[in-house]
Amino acid sequence: MIEKRNRWGWRFLILATAMITVFSFYPMVSALLTSFKTGSSANMKAADPIIYNYARLFKDKMFRTTLVNTFLYLVIQVPVMLVLAILLAQLLNNRHLKFRGLFRTCIFLPCAISLVSYALIFRSLFATQGLVNSVLMGLGFIKENINWLGQTGTARGVVIFALIWRWTGYNMVFYLAGLQNLDYSMYEAAMMDGANGWDTFWHITVPQLRPVIVMTFIMSINGTLQLFDESVNLTNGGPAGTTMTMSHYIYNNAFGTGVANFGYASAMSFIVFILVGILAIINLKVGDTRD
Amino acid sequence: MKKILALVLALAMCAALLAGCGSGSGSGSDSGTTPDSSGDSSGGGSTLSVYAWDANFNIPALQAAEKAFQKVNPDFKLEIVQQSGSSDVEQAVTLAASSGDLSTLPDIVLFQDHYIQKYVSDYPNAWQSLEGADINWDDFGAEKLSYSTIDGVHYGAPVDNGTAIFAYRTDILEQCGYSIDDVTRISWDRWLEIARDVKEKTGMALLSMDHSGDDLPYMMMQAEGLSQWSDGKPDFVENEALKKIIEVIVQGAKDGTIILANSWSEYTDQTIQGDQVAGVMNGNWIIPTIEQVTANSGKWALTTLPTLDGGKDGYAANGGSSLYITGNCKNVDLAREFLAYTFGGGEGAIETYDAALRDGGVITTCISAGKSGVYQEGVDFFGGQAIYADIVAMGASVPVVEQSDYHYVARTYIGNAITNIQNGSELVSELQTAQDQVSFEMGL
Repeated sequence: MIEKRNRWGWRFLILATAMITVFSFYPMVSALLTSFKTGSSANMKAADPIIYNYARLFKDKMFRTTLVNTFLYLVIQVPVMLVLAILLAQLLNNRHLKFRGLFRTCIFLPCAISLVSYALIFRSLFATQGLVNSVLMGLGFIKENINWLGQTGTARGVVIFALIWRWTGYNMVFYLAGLQNLDYSMYEAAMMDGANGWDTFWHITVPQLRPVIVMTFIMSINGTLQLFDESVNLTNGGPAGTTMTMSHYIYNNAFGTGVANFGYASAMSFIVFILVGILAIINLKVGDTRD
Repeated sequence: MKKILALVLALAMCAALLAGCGSGSGSGSDSGTTPDSSGDSSGGGSTLSVYAWDANFNIPALQAAEKAFQKVNPDFKLEIVQQSGSSDVEQAVTLAASSGDLSTLPDIVLFQDHYIQKYVSDYPNAWQSLEGADINWDDFGAEKLSYSTIDGVHYGAPVDNGTAIFAYRTDILEQCGYSIDDVTRISWDRWLEIARDVKEKTGMALLSMDHSGDDLPYMMMQAEGLSQWSDGKPDFVENEALKKIIEVIVQGAKDGTIILANSWSEYTDQTIQGDQVAGVMNGNWIIPTIEQVTANSGKWALTTLPTLDGGKDGYAANGGSSLYITGNCKNVDLAREFLAYTFGGGEGAIETYDAALRDGGVITTCISAGKSGVYQEGVDFFGGQAIYADIVAMGASVPVVEQSDYHYVARTYIGNAITNIQNGSELVSELQTAQDQVSFEMGL
């Protein structure tokens, strides 16, 4: 009986395994091989020396710029977003709060919007003649239109702001789900003992949510390192490439500017892959409480 | 109650999704099979398939050509498969040629001029030349042909004309005491003076450009008859003309007389259609964008580009595309005959180009076709100026300058250099950075 059940289990697994092999693992291996080749995609030759594409990376100033940009987004946006998400989750977990469902929906709603459309909407909001400038002008905060997307500092700021707006609600949902699993009586007991909101947050929510926090961290780091849509649609990498992400640069090398440099683009993708791997391992080690 | 409601909602959603996907996949398979089926039929039949991307511009031109060719070949059919943009055609060629299976391609593709050289050298099997077609190549602007001729072999049949124009608002110029003649054959220094005057008196800038794909340096260089390339290498740092041109752009941006927009839509919708500028300089395909603002009808006039020293007309070209026969075309003779008869200046050329101009605003680079009556008509929007005849004449004078497969890479990094110089960086060091990066991407 058990054997029969096992056999069925394997049959179901085979289908999924075959699909993931064909659609994920095979392209990965293929990309790894491509990263050791040069030339046009119709006629690729082994690179000479074999690590040519990887050696190139260290001489590429533009790649360095995109690496810096991406890590800048990572260092600023991920912590701000996750702290906001967990604070919002704590607030919205309060059973005495009215219209809880409405607030939760509102904060989650940005996630229902397609990446491209929200990036385009942000672009028109922050255009030189856009809504944001009109409002600020009308309220008398500024005298002259700000060229938000034309200056490095403000353009990066807009990208980070857009990312936070888009993804905070998404992460909040994970925290909320985690909080649902915590016994609410713990909070009530803490209140009885005179703990205020901050105490309960710091001493009950955060420690209990640790596994969820680690997971959201890994997902956010992963997502940020692969950031593409915002860079392409919101700023198009400008001004002077100072908001361009690694993925955007990879895309440009493969398809973007007609260069069709697939070998080099694959090599860069593997660097991103390795970076994501390293950061995820560090994160797991730090988050691991078992000694 | 809740359960029933949930069930009803879920069912409604599934139904909607199915309906949506059903029709979606239906149309998807339609467009998917079109090139295949035509690929089969073109083996001996009289049908050709073609990819093009603009329903208001190049597709009417193709329809006109089909109609013209049907006069001598009544069974002929052209299946026009519309793509959402020129990059889709590039992707289709990359995909087919990389996989080695050309059968997914149509017989003919419309392809951007600046990309074709790279694509022919990368994927030689994906193309078939136009050699042997009955086309008088002397009847075309030399600059246009310089893109589609690779190692002396003609590959492309020219369609539209990328000749650059400088359009000015004559009412604004008059308000400031200038005429269209005062801005023709002038130097860029004089242009900057006039622009400052216009800015002071009317608050309007005299030029704008999408700085995320800044074509100004390229066009201004070509108007000088010079290139940013030298013997296949980027030539930025030692290039005195390029330095002066960048200084002009940076100065104009500083004065507020040149608006460098952050995106294409900001360039077209806000600076041009939002009446922020009294001048537009770009390939003549920008004219339909200008014409969107009907309130300004009759107030525009076209002229040539300024140059660094002045005293002569600046001619340049930007953009444009040609038709190419792919490696998948089985009936190459028919394709060559069709292209030669219509876009190639054959007997059907006048009919093709006249209809293309009327229905799509496509302006020819074919010198003899440009002499037809339709081209001599005055255009009310431009105060009755016969702009089409003017543009064809200008197109014949565009100097041939050295081109590169890395045109768009250079455009990106020179644009970046301009941004950094605006923010206070030093010109030479920025050009050095740009040159290094372009050389790097070329693998030099």
